[in-house]
Amino acid sequence: MLANYLIGLREGLEAALIVTILVAYVVKIDRRDVLRRIWLGVGLAVVLALVIGAALTFGTYGLSFAARETIGGVLSIAATGLVTWMVFWMLRTARDLSGHLRGSIDRSLLGAGVGLVVVAFVAVGREGIETALFIWAAVQATGETTMPLIGAALGILSAVGLGWLVYSGMLRINLAKFFTWTGGILIVVAAGVLSYGVHDLQEAGVLPGLNSLAFNVSAAIPPDSWFGTLLKGTLNFSPVTTWLELVVWTGYTAICLSLFIRASRNGGRVRSAPRPVEPATEPVAEPVR
Amino acid sequence: MRARFPLLGLASAAGLLALTGCVPNAGTSGASHASLTVDSSATACAVSAAEAPAGSVRFTVTNSGDQVTEFYLLAEDGLRIVGEAENIGPGLSRNLVVQLAAGHYFTACKPGMTGDGIGKADFTVTESDAAPNL
Repeated sequence: MLANYLIGLREGLEAALIVTILVAYVVKIDRRDVLRRIWLGVGLAVVLALVIGAALTFGTYGLSFAARETIGGVLSIAATGLVTWMVFWMLRTARDLSGHLRGSIDRSLLGAGVGLVVVAFVAVGREGIETALFIWAAVQATGETTMPLIGAALGILSAVGLGWLVYSGMLRINLAKFFTWTGGILIVVAAGVLSYGVHDLQEAGVLPGLNSLAFNVSAAIPPDSWFGTLLKGTLNFSPVTTWLELVVWTGYTAICLSLFIRASRNGGRVRSAPRPVEPATEPVAEPVR
Repeated sequence: MRARFPLLGLASAAGLLALTGCVPNAGTSGASHASLTVDSSATACAVSAAEAPAGSVRFTVTNSGDQVTEFYLLAEDGLRIVGEAENIGPGLSRNLVVQLAAGHYFTACKPGMTGDGIGKADFTVTESDAAPNL
């Protein structure tokens, strides 16, 4: 039961962390009205993953190994891009907020309307299908034993619970600190997702170098231990890391962190050119960026 | 509007995969694939047969040990991964479906998800009429 619990926890942690930061941010800038979009993205991802997982488990057709790896790799790279976008979008709205440019925030949020749904959707959906297949496998086993299903469900619930704890902590710290910390955390999380995607593509044989290892610390950090689970679940830390993964991780982190630090010193001015002043209009249904 | 394009891309990628990535599940009438079972315990990795005809091959991997296990199908060099089933918790069965051309392969299990794996065994895929051009 403990082993299945840890799988559930690991699969849920990363999504819980990203969604938590997103929700905490929106609440902190006092825009609870856009929370609906975040939950829409989360809900869509959960339902879609469970339905696809059930169809593949109980239906006429399953998923081939190559297709599974491709979905994993592509969604990981998409997730990295979206989380990166989210970090710099948060910076931009923070600048608007500090300048009391209320209308500008509204425009940013309006433009991010679809963006927020997509970030929440991909954050949850990335490991969603794999998690759903795991859950349905546990359901299939209930004829013999319900322990795997109970363990997996408790694991996912724990991930959500931890997300809630982090959320309450985040509400207490001030906005400036919140940006520095969440921005940094999100960049490291995104770097982990990217290197995970690289690993998927290396396993699929799309990228070379699966067996040239930069380090192997699985003796010190066993992947089935509780701390190995936490490291894997939050930062996507793999105790066995290839050179290509390490290079991609380091490159991404170095570039994005320095851009992030520079941008936050400039008061969040990510774009050098000021955006053209738009005439003040009523919010339109069609999001425009 | 720009934000719509990733959505569109994801949707079409998903659509493509739905067309190409799907393989018949066990028990389907007219399915022309081989179905094998694997028992991954703490000490062994028992595959129900050491050979199968080329084409779609399904391994149903059951974990009878008490650690999370993984099942690997490796190419002739013993390194390249042809197929892998992950996250097989104790008491669970998961499927690995792969399209295989005739040749020599290896099967292995990895309880605890570390190390070189245990029970590495030869696996032969023989020529068959249903063989895909790989």
